[in-house]
Amino acid sequence: MRVVVVVAHPDPDSFNHAIASTAVASLTRAGHAVTVLDLYAEEFRTAMSYDERQAYHSDRPLLDPMAERHAGIVKRAEALVFIYPTWWSTLPAILKGWLERVMVPGVGFVFDEHQRVRRGLTDVRRIVGISTYGATRLYVRALTDNGRRTVMRALRLNTALATRRSWLALYEVDNCSLDQRQAFLKRVERKMRSL
Amino acid sequence: VNAYVVYCHPDPASFTAALRDRAMDALAAAGHEVRMSDLYADGFEPTMSRAESSDFLAPDHHNPEIDEYCENLRWCNALVFVYPTWWSGQPAMLTGWLDRVLVRGVAWELPEGRKRITGQLTNVSRLVSITSHGSSKLINVIEGETGRRLIGRSVRVLCHRFARTTWLALYNIDRSSLVEREAFLDRVEQRMRRLWWSPTGLAGRRW
Repeated sequence: MRVVVVVAHPDPDSFNHAIASTAVASLTRAGHAVTVLDLYAEEFRTAMSYDERQAYHSDRPLLDPMAERHAGIVKRAEALVFIYPTWWSTLPAILKGWLERVMVPGVGFVFDEHQRVRRGLTDVRRIVGISTYGATRLYVRALTDNGRRTVMRALRLNTALATRRSWLALYEVDNCSLDQRQAFLKRVERKMRSL
Repeated sequence: VNAYVVYCHPDPASFTAALRDRAMDALAAAGHEVRMSDLYADGFEPTMSRAESSDFLAPDHHNPEIDEYCENLRWCNALVFVYPTWWSGQPAMLTGWLDRVLVRGVAWELPEGRKRITGQLTNVSRLVSITSHGSSKLINVIEGETGRRLIGRSVRVLCHRFARTTWLALYNIDRSSLVEREAFLDRVEQRMRRLWWSPTGLAGRRW
């Protein structure tokens, strides 16, 4: 499968990057073609600009060469893997901005003749989200978890009908032990092997 | 009382800008003092840096980029967000503003030996979101209403214990008529005029 791994953490020495390298190694070993989009390393621009907003509903909504390159990669993808820390219950701004600026009409979704939204990522049949949380599992599951909803529900609406979804979460990451972190990396490795 | 409007849209001629103007006029007409931040006009940088992310537990955050916003957050009694809903939530610009401005010592504190944060914005007793959606209410419910939950829950826990949240949303904006948009502007105006009305007359006091 052609897998795109999107990573959003400012610190290359972070646990999120350890998760990313584990995931990429495991996916490559399983024989998948992996493309990594490390948004902070590529210095992806977060906010949609005025010009991009004006061009959003035109024939050419992708003005930024980097966004255009990412859109080309996403269009060919069969599986999307998101690795990010959850901040204020949702995606980091850079990843939210990536959705807004790359998943434009014609990429993430298309408008039909009645101006209704139709799915655009019909080749994508696998979505995996991997996230770290500061809060407890009970709190996150009962009250917030907006990042998970964005990736697993809002994005899911635009992928193939038979898309399978997986979610791997490490809660209370600020207080967890080295053993728990290593066990989590093992879980990531197993999940990626059986993608 | 003091109202702080956080406005986020790249286009100064947008419907969202009209919503902001109506809301601010109505708040001023009701006798409130109003301050506003236009994140795009300010050229706010929404990407949290490496240093900020590793120092997020530090007790003191002094950064000239965010000081003014922090000051406004401490000053206001009503916090009003005006933004378009993209991908079921706040635009990245506003998400990044929350990431970078809601820092320890301003928005929350982590007392010694505790695991959970405690909110510091106890001066905020009204939390308002004014937004527009391209999709219908049904689609938003399926998607999980992440924007509404973010402000109504994750930001709400930082505010006063009895803070009231107000959700004003126009769905299906791409297919809405001029009449519907005018009606929504009127609804925003009316709601903002009586933001502090309460049957007991006690609302809006500094608790």
